[in-house]
Order: sequence, then structure tokens, then C-alpha cells
Amino acid sequence: MRFNWQRLRSWEGLLLLLLIIVVIINVILSPFYLNLGNQINLFQLSIEKIIVALAMAFVIINAEIDLSVASVMGLSACVLAYLFDQGYSMGVAIFAALLSGVLCGAFNGFWIAYVRLPSLVVTLAGLIGYRGAARILVEDRSIGEFPDWFDALGQQPLVGPIPVAIIIFFVLLIISAVVLQRSMFGRYVYVIGNSLDVARFSGVNVKRVKMTLFIISGTTAALAGLLLAARLGAVRGNTAEGFELDIITMVLLGGVSIFGGTGSLTGVALAIILILNLRNGMSLANITGNTQTGVIGALLILSVLVPNWTQIINARLKRRQFQRTQVQEGG
Amino acid sequence: MTKPVLEMQDISKRFDMTQALDNVSLALYPGEIHALLGENGAGKSTLIKIMTGIYKADSGRVLLDDQPVTIQNALDAQTLGIAAIQQEPMIFPDLNVAENIFVSRRQRSLFINWRQMYREAEKILAQLDIKLDVRSPARGLTLAAQQAVEIAKAISLNVRVLIMDEPTASLSAHEVRQLFKLAMALRDQGVALLFISHRMEEVFEIADRITVFRDGQHISTRLRSEVTTESAIRDMVGREIEKIFAKANVEQGKRLIEVSGLSKDQAFSDISFDVHQGEVLGFAGLVGARRTDVGLALFGIEPADEGEIVFEQQKIAIHSPVQAMKLGIAYVTEDRRQLGLSMPMSIVTNITLPKLREYASSVGLVDNQAENEVANRFKERLSIRTPSVELEAGKLSGGNQQKVMLSKWLNTKPKLLILDEPTRGIDVGAKAEVHQMINDLAAEGLGIILISSDMPEVIAMSDRILVMREGRQMGVFERAEFDQERILTAAMGQTIATESST
Amino acid sequence: MKTLKRLIHPDQIRELVLVLLILLIVLFFGSQIENYYSPRLFNRITTSVAILLVVAVGQTLVVIMRNIDLSVGAIVGFTAYFVGQQLAANNDMSPITAVLLAIGVGGLMGLVNGLITAYGRVPAIITTLGTLAIYRTILVDFSDAQTIITSSLPAWLVELPSKNLVEFGNFDIRWMFVWAVLVVILFQLVMTYLPWGRRLYAIGSNPDAAAQAGLPVERTMLIAFILCGALSGLGGFMFLARFGNITVVAGLGLELQIVAAVVVGGVNIFGGSGTMLGALLGTILIATLEQSLLRWAIISEFWRDALLGLLILLAVAADAVILDRLRNFWARTEVETLSDIEAEPLKETPHAL
Repeated sequence: MRFNWQRLRSWEGLLLLLLIIVVIINVILSPFYLNLGNQINLFQLSIEKIIVALAMAFVIINAEIDLSVASVMGLSACVLAYLFDQGYSMGVAIFAALLSGVLCGAFNGFWIAYVRLPSLVVTLAGLIGYRGAARILVEDRSIGEFPDWFDALGQQPLVGPIPVAIIIFFVLLIISAVVLQRSMFGRYVYVIGNSLDVARFSGVNVKRVKMTLFIISGTTAALAGLLLAARLGAVRGNTAEGFELDIITMVLLGGVSIFGGTGSLTGVALAIILILNLRNGMSLANITGNTQTGVIGALLILSVLVPNWTQIINARLKRRQFQRTQVQEGG
Repeated sequence: MTKPVLEMQDISKRFDMTQALDNVSLALYPGEIHALLGENGAGKSTLIKIMTGIYKADSGRVLLDDQPVTIQNALDAQTLGIAAIQQEPMIFPDLNVAENIFVSRRQRSLFINWRQMYREAEKILAQLDIKLDVRSPARGLTLAAQQAVEIAKAISLNVRVLIMDEPTASLSAHEVRQLFKLAMALRDQGVALLFISHRMEEVFEIADRITVFRDGQHISTRLRSEVTTESAIRDMVGREIEKIFAKANVEQGKRLIEVSGLSKDQAFSDISFDVHQGEVLGFAGLVGARRTDVGLALFGIEPADEGEIVFEQQKIAIHSPVQAMKLGIAYVTEDRRQLGLSMPMSIVTNITLPKLREYASSVGLVDNQAENEVANRFKERLSIRTPSVELEAGKLSGGNQQKVMLSKWLNTKPKLLILDEPTRGIDVGAKAEVHQMINDLAAEGLGIILISSDMPEVIAMSDRILVMREGRQMGVFERAEFDQERILTAAMGQTIATESST
Repeated sequence: MKTLKRLIHPDQIRELVLVLLILLIVLFFGSQIENYYSPRLFNRITTSVAILLVVAVGQTLVVIMRNIDLSVGAIVGFTAYFVGQQLAANNDMSPITAVLLAIGVGGLMGLVNGLITAYGRVPAIITTLGTLAIYRTILVDFSDAQTIITSSLPAWLVELPSKNLVEFGNFDIRWMFVWAVLVVILFQLVMTYLPWGRRLYAIGSNPDAAAQAGLPVERTMLIAFILCGALSGLGGFMFLARFGNITVVAGLGLELQIVAAVVVGGVNIFGGSGTMLGALLGTILIATLEQSLLRWAIISEFWRDALLGLLILLAVAADAVILDRLRNFWARTEVETLSDIEAEPLKETPHAL
């Protein structure tokens, strides 16, 4: 975005710096780190989350939030498993799973865009409700034994050593970046995120933009749910539970303001790569997944806290310095 | 002469590149109303913010009763008896009136004694002759009532210096009267009032002394009797400027829009008028006359429920801004900050927003170069003072923001332009430029609806004036019948009758 | 007339509607489920309400101030585990010490939330999303994946949940429920009669104005977070008493139920309005629904969450659509009464300095 880009650049610069430090430490820690296999593996382990993070970036820049994504991922996986279990063909099951994502997104979008309920509450209800719907379908079973070709989607390399999910991610990343930074829709997302009323008074169809956003978010989550099912090879009621935290953290760490209006996909992409490498490095250093989550949580807080503090301290220093020179000049 | 209660001595304040205040001094005496005049950017608000502890001065002294004091924050200012009433009152909508009045009073007891609080609130309101239910929540109070609550709050804090920053900007004439009455009552109780307004006639009506700032410097402080409007304006702008602009006579073209019996539940009813090409139709009325609602209905934001709109001989109903824009209707809002411009975004983004589709390719990608060209054209045409059109709109002065907003809507190539309070809160120079613009646009054949609470402005700039009161149309005046008193009478309607009978 | 209008103000109506809704749910399930009006169900509901309730009170404090605390579930889990471990290691610890320990540990965690949010100026949703992960991590690392088991706990604690204050036939009024209700009453009084409580409303209602009015915004916010943490700690203690067996996933996802209860109870998620009584009713509503669904044969227990999600949505939608309209109506009548009052025209008072 044109505005404020000095600040964004510096934020992105900071992320890049952090990333370089993490990479250097990782290289020192483990000789395997730079192996192509490890690099692909590092992406693959979180591929579903980072795909959803792209859509989440749009939603948060629009000054909304979608807490229901992880439940939609779970629901989509469960719809797939349930229909497959009932004897439907895989094609039908995949279609229905994607459709469930579209419907969940449209349902969220309806309440948020047309009834104007806060997205925090609507998607919180969605988080609980869609997870509930997933549980209704698979209850406490674990459904797997999908056809090989489906499992291969998540597990087998497609082009050279790269699995299809990673290719999907990079294609989506490029599309999202272009749409957000260069397209009309992206512009509307920013304007509405900055000031909804200004957009409305300028003839922007705010309702449609918001509705579209949530449908995109739901559909992306459903797609990610399918990829997750393919990679894991089996689906349970709690599949993808709690993923929303990681997804939102990636976006916020990427410099997108929780109040909307600012942020770029460059930042989000950098934050994603940073988090993945950080986790990978910690795994190589034998730090448990649980501790990793804690570190990411701390990183999330610090990503807002540190800039705030430097700003406050800077302002204070400046004033003090100025007063001192004033006194000297005067005396 | 008595001793000053508050004295600001040799105050300076610098922000990055601009010297907001340069060795400015100002003394306020108990029992006076002191008006502070100056164009936007003259340093008035900076001084107020230093007085109320929001900013700290780089140098200079503040004396209260001849004793030097430091004001570090809002709390210090309060303890010293300095309070400010902002243009937008700082009200807590979920708290009731009494709580709003006492919100910042230091609590002496551990528990809140509601009964006593209501009693005291009622006492203060009675003392000011304000009739409000102290138990009802502040949500939904009119702007005037909110300001009354703010004044009561100041009284409850035993205020000695009361700063009123553009308190009348959004008030109707009647409400201004009430406010002035309160101000005078306070003055008579020995409070020093610092009154800031862009409306010259108000300043001359109420002020005892008048101080003028220009470019962060103190220019003059004189008794009212020693100042004339012309001399004050001369001090403010540093040059003579012509009297208020007048609408040039323009050959009127075809009838652009004809509205009959337009009504909206809870807003307005039975509004009928027409506008021709090249004509300026003024909408006069007090605040709460629902003129803005008519504008919003014509622009499709809050569509009307009933009535007929004929636009260019076509009978139509307007449901959405998109449709209104397609017809060639543009609405320039009164609320720049909330509804008009996206302040963190660039000037060019703001200008092209309503017509973004025109700069987009078939797949929806925006052509930035074409956008910039258009924005730069408007920058020239309306002489928007900015180093670059990529600057954030929020960094511009009020007058320049107004011009950006005008550019944004002129870029939609409207046939009918609805201007809602286009000169509110902008300085004298920019105001004249806006008036010139209105004239030029009318000459180009645009039909213009000018909603304004600034009576001299409506009278000077309109060909005809429609007067509204509380959602009803009180009459349409032809140019020959223009007369401030008659229009005001119509705008106040029965209020005058009931007032004279009580 | 005015008093009457105040009495049936929208916010009172909201609570009335909640009561009616709870009655409706009870009547509905009463007609569906055989032997529904049994003491057992009543006791179950009151017990599950008790834990939710103390945490909901803390959450309400934070939400009224236009913030949110998503870390309450992790705090409940951590304190339950931590206090359980201390009690297992030291069976002689007095009950008072145990409760104070829980409150203290919870308060400390709340303090961290509050410091980061109030003084670090980090939005509460980010702070507590982060500490939610951090506190859970600390719990997992701290526990070394061990489980607290009931048999290791002192007898007084294990018996606590079934201890009654009074009994009406088989309907037990349990101590834990009474505590929880006392907490609600205490904080309802705080919110009504303490300047600190009113300040919470003021800050939530208009944060900018609160700062300009010289209210101690940061301090008030910090205290609210500390209290929310402390109450979550108390909730953790009750959690420990009720379940006995505590694993590292204790209280996982509890924050969602709590926020749901608070929102259903009519506390505005954007701050400024809401009462403890509302939070109480919201909690009862959710607990009743949950426990009743468990016993409803027609649908499986797996329907619970789906219906809960829908309920939250409907509660909020009803609030927004119906009550907003009502509130506007009230605001209008208010203004009308105002416009009846007109000041007499200004007399010219010549004044010289």
C-alpha cells in the first residue's frame, strides 16, 4: 500500500532481520537444517495453517476477525470423512466438504455484513457451533482409509520433491498479494478496514465486500481442512482444534493491525516463514511442540509491545533532550 | 483591574518542523469572557492543550494566582480548576447524566451515595437553569444537552477557568442562545472563560476582550469595543479580505431534479422542491432540522419511504449510493473525519475511491498512474496545498481536506452536488475559496444543494432557500425575500410562539 | 411516567427476557424428558454453574471495560493443577491457605495480562491470546505430563463439592454454588456502589473521554485484569475440588464458554454496559441447556456444541436487533422530553470589564 509504507517497510525489515538470525542459528544448530527435505518438511507440517493465514490477513485488514476457521477446517474434514464413510464417491465428498466451507463463510458473513453483529461474537459462536456440527457427523470415531490418490495429495511429492499443498500455498500467496496490493477489491478491503463509514458514503458496497471476505475465509479453511485430512490420512472430531491461535498469530506478527486498515502480505509471508523456521529450529534443538507454542505466544505479544515501548521511550527521550537544549540556550 | 486568574507567559511549543507557538502570552481575568481568534493552524488548540495538560510547553511559564504551576496531565488541570469543553463533548453514553457530571470528581467517601449524587446534580443543573433528567442515560442526548452536561461538570469541579473550543460549531441558533446564557451566568460568578469560535458575529456578541493569534504568534489583545470585524479579520489573516462572497447570477438551465412529498419515518416529512442547472438551493434550518437526512435520502444512504423524485424527467426511486452516483448525484458530507475521508490513506486513494472502477482493468487491477494524474489535476484546479498527492489525507489542514473531499466528488462528474456544511471548521481564507468554487461549479451548470447552518453564508450563496424545522418544510424563499430575521423565524417555527407565550 | 420508563428500561428488559428464556427451556425439556424436574439435574446444573460463574464475573469486569481475557481457561487449568499438586504433596495445608494460594496464583497471571495490556498498550485480545498459549505451556512443562489424581488430595477437598448449605428435600443448595452467588452479589455491589466499578463503565463507554476526564485508566484496567485472574484462580480451585483428576488439558477451551455466557448475559462485547446479574443469568442459561441436552434422548450429546453456538448467535442477534430498536426508541423519547423544555430568550446584559 502506498500510505505509511515507510513504517511497514521498517516492520518488514525487522521481520527479515529476525528471520536471518533464526536461519543462522539453525544452520549452526543442525547440519540437516538446509537440506531440501527439511525445508519442505518445515512447510508441510503447517501448510494448512499458513494457507488459512492468507485469507485471515484479508479479514483482519478489513477490521474483522474470523475465529471459526479451525472449526471450519475440522467440519470440512469431517464432512468429507462422513460422506466417504457413508459410501459416497470421493468426488462428491470433496465437493460437499468445500461447499460446507462456503456455507459456513456465508453464514458468518450474513450476520456480520447484513445484521451488523460484531465478528468476534459471530465467529466465536461459529467456532463452537461448527465444531459441534463436526462432532455430530463423526461423533467420537476416527475415520480414515481414504483412497490412495487422496492421501497422496497431502503426502506424496508432486513436482520433484514438492507436494501439491505447498504448490497451492505459493499460488495462493501470489494471487492474494496481487489482489490485496493491486486490485480494486484489495483497495476496498483497506478502505473499509480504515473507516467503514467513509467507504459506505463513497458508494462502496461494504456488505458485499464483507460477505465475499467471509466466504473466501470459509472456503479457504475448507480447502485447508481437506489438505489436512489428506496429510493425516484420518479424521476425528477434534481435527484442527485450536489452530486459530497460530493462524491469527501469523497474521498479527506480520504487521497487520488488529484494528484493521494496515498491513501487507509481504509482512504476513515473512512472519509465516519466520514462525516455521523458528519452530523447525526449536525442534532441531529438541524443544517440545508445547514449548514452541509458548514461544510463539510470547512472540505475538512482543511484536506489539516492543514497537509500542520504543515509541514511548523515544518520545520521552526526545522531549527531555529538547528541554535540556532549551535550558542551555536560555541559561 | 483585578489580578489575572491564569497567566500564560512566553509559551513556546514546537512539533518537528513547525513552530506551533512562539513566545505567546495570554492573561485571563476572573469574570471575563475572552475570545481567542485565529485561522486554523494559528496555535489556538495547541495553547488550549497546554493549558489542559495534554501537551507540555517547550518553554514558558504558567501562573495561577501569580504562582507558577506545572500542568502535567488532565488531572493537574482539573485540580487547578481549569476545564475545557470540546467541540465534540466528551460524554459517557452508558452512564447517566448525574454520573457524567461527577465523573471526574475525586471521591471522598468509599461508596457512592446515589441519592445524594442525584440531588447534587439536580442542584447544579437548577443553578444553570438546565432541565434534564439526571437519572436517564446520556445516550441519545442532543449535542446541546451534552454540552450543558459538560458545563455542569465544569461547575461541579469548581472551575475557575473554562475553555470553550468551538462550542457552537454544531449548535442551532436557539441552542447557541442557551449556551451563551450559561456562559454569561458563569462569567457573573467570577469564572474566566476562554471562548474560541470561527463565527465572528458570536464573538462580537459575547466577548469582553478579543485576542488574535496568527502563525503561532500573539498579534493583539483588545477590548471588544476597540475591535471591528474588519480589524479582527485583518489581524487574523494579515491582509484585508473582501466581504463574504456572493452567488453570481448564472443563467439557469433545465430542471435537474424535482422532489415532491418526500418523507421518511422518524426523520422528515413532505419535503418538496426543485433544483435547476446552475442554481444553488440553500437548505437553512437549526440543528435537528433534519436537513442532512434529506441529503442522505437523495444520495440513497438512508432512502426515503415516500414521495416522488423526478431526476432529469425520469421518475425514479433512489435506494443506494451506487445508484445515486450513477444518476449524477454527489453528497459531500458535513463530517469529514468520520464519513468524508479515510484519514490514514493517501489523498489520491480518497479522490478516486467512488469511481475506482474507472481506473481498474477488466480483471480488477487498479491503474495507479491514471489515478495519480487525476489527483494531480484536482490538486492544481482546487489548489490543494500538499507536497504530494500520496500524502495521507489526515496530515492536511481542515481547509485542504475539504478540498480533497470536493475533488473526490467532482471526480464523479455530478450533475447535482449536495454540499453539507462545506465551510464548517475551516479558516476564513479557505472558506472564501470554497465559496468561489461553488460559484464556478454553478457557472458550469451544476445544480447545487447547499446545507449550511451559517446564516450569512446561505443567504449570500443561494438563489433560493428552503427552510426546514424538525423534519418539516417551513417554506421556500426567493432571493428577493432573503432576510436573516425572516429565515430564522421560519427555522424556529413555533418555538418562537411558545417562547413568547411562556 | 418517567420513573416507569426508567423501570422498564431496555437493560432491565434484557434480564427479564433471559429469565423467561431460561423458564422456556426448562418447560420445554420438562415436557420432553421424563422425570426432568429431578433433584439430580438441579444439583448438576448448580454445580457446573458455580465454576463457570466465578470466572464469568471476572470476565465481565474485563469486557465491560472494552477488553477481553482469553487466557481464563489456561489460568483455571494452571491453578487447578498447581494447587492440586501442592495439596497432594502437603495434605495438611489448611483450606484457607489453599484457596488463597489459588487466588494468588491466578491474580499473578492476571497481573501479567494487565501490565502488558494497560501499560504496554497491547490490545487485550492479543495479550491474552499470547498468554493463553504461554500459561498452558508453563502448565505442560511444569506438570511433566503427570496427572493429579483424586486419591492424592485431602478428604476435605474431595468432599467439598457435595457439601450442602441447606437441603430442600433432595434439592441441595451446595456451598460452591452459594460461594459463586456471593461472588456475583459482591461484584454487583462493587459495580453499583464503588467508584472503581463506575469507572469501569466509564472507560468502556468512552475510553478517550475517560482519559481526558483524568480517570486513572491504566490503574483501573490493571486491577480489572488482576481481579479477573484472581477469580479465575478461585474457579481453578473449584475445578480441582469438583473433578479431582486434573490433567494438563484442564480448562481447555473454557474461555469460549465463559465469553459465551457473558455475551448471552447481555454484557456488551464493545464495553460500557452489562451487569453481574446478566452474567449470572447467561451462565445459568448455558449450563441448563448443556445439562438438559445431555439427557435428551432424541438427539445425541454431540449436538451440544452446535446448539450452543447457535444460541450465542441468536442471543446476540436478538440483542442487537430488538434491543437496539428499543434503545433508540427510548433515546428518542428522552430527547422529546428534552425539547419540551425551552429556555427563555436571552436578555442582553451589557457587561464591561
